[in-house]
Amino acid sequence: MNYPTKKLKSILAFSFMICFAFQSFAASWNVPEDQKTRNSYIKFDASTASQGEAIYNANCLSCHGDPGKGNNLKSLNPIPPELSSVGSQNLTDGELLYILNTGRAVMPSFKNSLSEEKMWHVISYLRGFNKNYVQTLSSFDPSKSKLVKLVANFDKAKNAFLIVAYANEKNGKKALVGSEVSLFVKRRFGNLQIDKTLKTDGSGQAEIVFPNDIPGNKTGELEVIVKLFDLNYGEVQTTSRLAIGVPTNKPGLNEQRAIWNVLEKAPYWILFLYSLGVISFLIFILYILNNLRKFRISGNK
Amino acid sequence: MSERINSEKITADLLRPIRLNKGFMVWMGVLSISLLVCLFAYFLQLRDGMIVTGLGDYVSWGMYISNFVFFVASSLIGMLISGVLSLLKQKWAAPLARIAEIIALAFAAVAGLVIVMDMGRPDRLLNVFIHGRIQSPILWDVTVITSYMIVSALFLYIPLIPDLKICAQKLTNIPPFARKIYEFLSLNWSDTPVQRELIRKSTRTIAILIIPIALAIHTVTSWLFANTSRAGWDSTIFGPYFVAGAFVAGTAAVIIAMFIFRKVYHLEEYITEFHFDKIGQLLVLVSLLYLYFNVNEYMVPAYKMKRADAFHIHELFVGSHALLFWITQLGGLIIPIILLILKPFRKPIPMLVISTMVLIGSWLKRYIIVIPTMEHPYLPVQNVPLKFSVYTPTLIEILVTIAPMIMVLLIITVLAKVIPIIPIHETIEHQQEIASKKK
Amino acid sequence: MIENNQKSNKNTRREFLQNLGIVGVGSLLAGSAFFAARKYDSKKTAADRVKVLTAENKLVEIEKSAITEVEKTPATQLTYLQKQGRDGIAGSRFVMVIDLSKCQNARKCMSACQNAHHLRPEQHHINVLKMQETETTQPYYMPKPCQHCDNPPCVAVCPVDATFKRQDGIVLIDNERCIGCRFCIAACPYSARVFNWQEPLNAQADEGLVYNVELNVPQKKGTISKCLFSADRVREGKLPYCVSACPNGVYYFGDENEDVVTNGTTKESFRFKKLIADNAGYTLMPELGTKPRVYYLPPKGKSYPFQEKDREEAAEHLPI
Repeated sequence: MNYPTKKLKSILAFSFMICFAFQSFAASWNVPEDQKTRNSYIKFDASTASQGEAIYNANCLSCHGDPGKGNNLKSLNPIPPELSSVGSQNLTDGELLYILNTGRAVMPSFKNSLSEEKMWHVISYLRGFNKNYVQTLSSFDPSKSKLVKLVANFDKAKNAFLIVAYANEKNGKKALVGSEVSLFVKRRFGNLQIDKTLKTDGSGQAEIVFPNDIPGNKTGELEVIVKLFDLNYGEVQTTSRLAIGVPTNKPGLNEQRAIWNVLEKAPYWILFLYSLGVISFLIFILYILNNLRKFRISGNK
Repeated sequence: MSERINSEKITADLLRPIRLNKGFMVWMGVLSISLLVCLFAYFLQLRDGMIVTGLGDYVSWGMYISNFVFFVASSLIGMLISGVLSLLKQKWAAPLARIAEIIALAFAAVAGLVIVMDMGRPDRLLNVFIHGRIQSPILWDVTVITSYMIVSALFLYIPLIPDLKICAQKLTNIPPFARKIYEFLSLNWSDTPVQRELIRKSTRTIAILIIPIALAIHTVTSWLFANTSRAGWDSTIFGPYFVAGAFVAGTAAVIIAMFIFRKVYHLEEYITEFHFDKIGQLLVLVSLLYLYFNVNEYMVPAYKMKRADAFHIHELFVGSHALLFWITQLGGLIIPIILLILKPFRKPIPMLVISTMVLIGSWLKRYIIVIPTMEHPYLPVQNVPLKFSVYTPTLIEILVTIAPMIMVLLIITVLAKVIPIIPIHETIEHQQEIASKKK
Repeated sequence: MIENNQKSNKNTRREFLQNLGIVGVGSLLAGSAFFAARKYDSKKTAADRVKVLTAENKLVEIEKSAITEVEKTPATQLTYLQKQGRDGIAGSRFVMVIDLSKCQNARKCMSACQNAHHLRPEQHHINVLKMQETETTQPYYMPKPCQHCDNPPCVAVCPVDATFKRQDGIVLIDNERCIGCRFCIAACPYSARVFNWQEPLNAQADEGLVYNVELNVPQKKGTISKCLFSADRVREGKLPYCVSACPNGVYYFGDENEDVVTNGTTKESFRFKKLIADNAGYTLMPELGTKPRVYYLPPKGKSYPFQEKDREEAAEHLPI
């Protein structure tokens, strides 16, 4: 409630009403300070904006409407703001990124569906509706992520992953302190996060316990992904295949004999009864036809 | 000597209808033209798709399926009269056996066509034989209806053999090829004891065999419904319920046919008021049986009023199908029972009227069984056009429904024109028996 | 970025497999000589040999020089698609979870589905229903796709094996075989099936398209169509059309064998059994014994009001 107040008041001093409305809007997101001041390392230009537009139209348009047209979905509670509005444009780039990342109530999180780069594209597109916007570029250099060495070792005794992260700077190894690390198991449609996202300790380490009931393949193998995010070094991830899951080899759902299955897998009783019926019918018919044959032979021409 | 004359008179009387006359030609012409009109409606359905019918994704089975059930039901009478009654030694039914068999054969043969008319892709009919899954009740239905047709044909044919010989010998004014066909089909009948025994044995075997097959065709047809989890169909008594209903429909059809043949072919001496009285009693008996199943079928769900059943019962008793339901139950079942219990109504003309009521009621009854259930599935019917949730048959659909009825009439007319409708040989034998007893 | 790479990887892998399959058909046609010579061949180095999946789903090894590529004609393509479509995906059992507390009748699922499967506006593979159980309980919106039952009554009654259940649990319809008897519509207690009463929507545009049983396109007049759990997308590791189209996070989809379902909107993954256990998940009409593969989370703590205009329609289905 406190920190944005001064700044917002100075910007929107001309209208108490607007100020009040905006205050309550921004405050409710509770964006952490270090996130709020983040800036894009990508220069916003026509190309990033047009890429962002496509992403916006696919993911945001249905609720927020076309920016500037006021066709946002007003039946929702809270009403999704019109994003070219003063209120929305006064959010910092970092705040917008945070909102995209976390989501809230009606608004979904895009953490798993959009990469950070794509989110900056969306923000680039939205900033195109604000004539007064001047981008503050971040000094962040994405290529620095190449310096990071991320090691994840599975400790069988503890049943946990020991994660160590450091950067090979020119002046030697530098432990990454306070970086976010998270552990995922790769699944068919998405990655399942194990436990919570942790922060590396003073020596650049973190430990994430691996549950013992995650299904793997037939031999219990599964693919584990460790992701690290550091404000200075960006995103790094490492993947490994380990046999630490529960071996899973369930039969196909159409294996058993069942009334609904294909003819080859019909229940025996129905095969038996049907054949019995047809065969006894044929026997009767053959008997009758044979009678008719005898009949014809025995008669006089 | 008098015996001789008698049997000649019988032969002459019963062979008389077998000739082409003006009435027959006109009647066939009318039937053929109507059939062409109806087949044109079916052509429209093939061309434009089943959108030309009143069916939709919810009521996806409509008049065609009710019609199919009605056809299968009507065909069951062959088994009742020729099978059950002959095994029970009910001699009075003997002259009616052939009429019943002709009706059975005609309805069974056309029932298959009715179901083809309901198919979205009749061009893929062979898939049923190529890819058939015997777990599907449709496969059972195909199997038993085919079997029933074969057995009915044999049941019609075997007792007919002596009569065919008579036809070949006694019929004048028939072209030589027709005589050859009669001759060929009579399989060298020469009235030897061996041949008599073979006919007796075969007829008896078929009379027994036809009972389980006939029960199967209608039970399996009822399972097309009872094997689904739908309110109004999900019932364990559907098999016997349908079979009892089939006896009612079939008996009514035989009575109407009896009346018409008696009038048109002048068979008053052979189909007498005694026969009408007897078959009237039979109709009461089977109707009472059917009434009993009806009470079961409606009373049990109406007592419990489970959610889906309650919709169904409500629709039938007081809802949008109530008028049709009560007309069917009262006019097609209860009133005929009351009237036919009284002897004065068991006369040819009142029985024609009552049987017509019963037969129409039987058709409507199948409609009442099929449509209301489909209109009320478990989940609400929403986001679809009104047409999908409330079924109204279209003109094309009605014409396509009439087409198989005309076909049945055609088959009956033709069969009744080429073979004696009353068994000649048996009637003569029966007369001789009576005569020998008198002595 | 990573996601993009994965996608393209999967695409190339899919094409590769597809080619392999077609090559397999060719190798079959080449005849039994290979099999006879198999023992002799095994002495040759592994580098000369290649593993090939035959149309009968057998993995065989043949010499590289023996391969003759079969021309990609519509007929071979159809055989391939049919085979792949009937086999399904080994080792998977797909499930869907629908969170009723989130559905607000946006109907994006319905339109995405109708677009993908070339359906008319009144044909619903998935239908959002307005439900109300009793007069005192609250109405709610309920998306209703095919339940892909493990004891499917519709498949049981099919006379020609046109509709079938695959090893991965998906119930498909083969409109190249369907005879249009509509017994399956009668048997389905969930009213999940639709029929092509007339010429399908895109009939002319779709002409010449090779029929894909996993997409059921092109649709055909006089045959059934139904929800397919977007088997074509699932094969590519993508979420079904409806699931991805939902803006409100209603749908989760995943593999029961992996015990994970992924939300279509947020792409966030959850343990399937825990999600069901924590939220009192249930299936529709369990008393029928159909064993659906679609689970519902009750409309508890709805974040949206039920719209006034829909109340009347929801109330129509109240018990008498």
